[in-house]
Amino acid sequence: MPLQQAYDDLVNRSLSRIPCELGRLIYLASTREYNTGHYYHQGLADRFGPEAAQKALEIAHRQAFYKVSAYSLENLAEELERYLESTKEEPLECLRAWQKLEPYRVAVPADVSATVARLFTSNLRLALAILRFRRGQSRQHP
Amino acid sequence: MIGTTASLLAAAALLLLLIAWIRADRALRDLPFGSEEWGPGPDKDAGLNGCPPEFVSQIFSGRDLAYVGRLNSQELERQFHHERNGVALMWVQQTSAVVQRIMRHHLEASRRSRDIEFVTEAGIFLQYAQLRAACALLFVGIGLSGAQQVRGIALYADRLSQHIGQVAGEFDASLRVREMKGARPS
Repeated sequence: MPLQQAYDDLVNRSLSRIPCELGRLIYLASTREYNTGHYYHQGLADRFGPEAAQKALEIAHRQAFYKVSAYSLENLAEELERYLESTKEEPLECLRAWQKLEPYRVAVPADVSATVARLFTSNLRLALAILRFRRGQSRQHP
Repeated sequence: MIGTTASLLAAAALLLLLIAWIRADRALRDLPFGSEEWGPGPDKDAGLNGCPPEFVSQIFSGRDLAYVGRLNSQELERQFHHERNGVALMWVQQTSAVVQRIMRHHLEASRRSRDIEFVTEAGIFLQYAQLRAACALLFVGIGLSGAQQVRGIALYADRLSQHIGQVAGEFDASLRVREMKGARPS
């Protein structure tokens, strides 16, 4: 069962090092080639073959997407805060870029429910607005 | 006198419905990047994956609204209603489209079948009519009072759409078995 082995390896090695679910989702989406929609991970493909690696990444991506989409707004805002802290970039700059460019839109896997895809992007827009609001509040009342 | 009052009430109800319809329609148009953002692509059925029930419950739940309310920001509350009503309206559109597709397939299968059970067919069509009515009610209700206020109707519509899909699916599967048996040389 190279697929199961590839999946377990992906979860236990690469994904376990990422501190939050949103980070795992962004990472998995980044393994997808923009032009073809195929997933690629050199180490995984070397160990288990390109097909098993591609399928394992696709499954893990879809799972991470549904998990993040199921978060309540409160949990998503906390998750987003954790993610921004983990990037080591200036949080306010990151927030502005995310609000302007909406890079999280490329994190939606193919063939998922259109409504859940909409819920995901809508909740992220709201979570970003909430974090901006909270930061504004804490600046006014330090 | 009663006739005049009834007419006025009916006119007021119609006006209210019209306002709700316009608001819902505007909410759909105002969605970022248009209402077809995640709609079906060149493959018509590709974007029509059904929405899992736990997400339907989440979309129409009041939990997120309560959280946004605790933040004491009118702007955030306004944005929340705009975003969530847009998602809810999209779910209504998608559910309606998915069930229409199921019914189209079922009608084609029924035409091929030689032994149609009237009671089963009538049951499916009755539920389909109920679902269409629920979708229309949801469309107006979301525009009028917001997604959280029509949660019960949404959950009912979701159960109906799943039931229709299940019954039509079973009918189609049994028809395929009969057709395969009929195709075998005797």
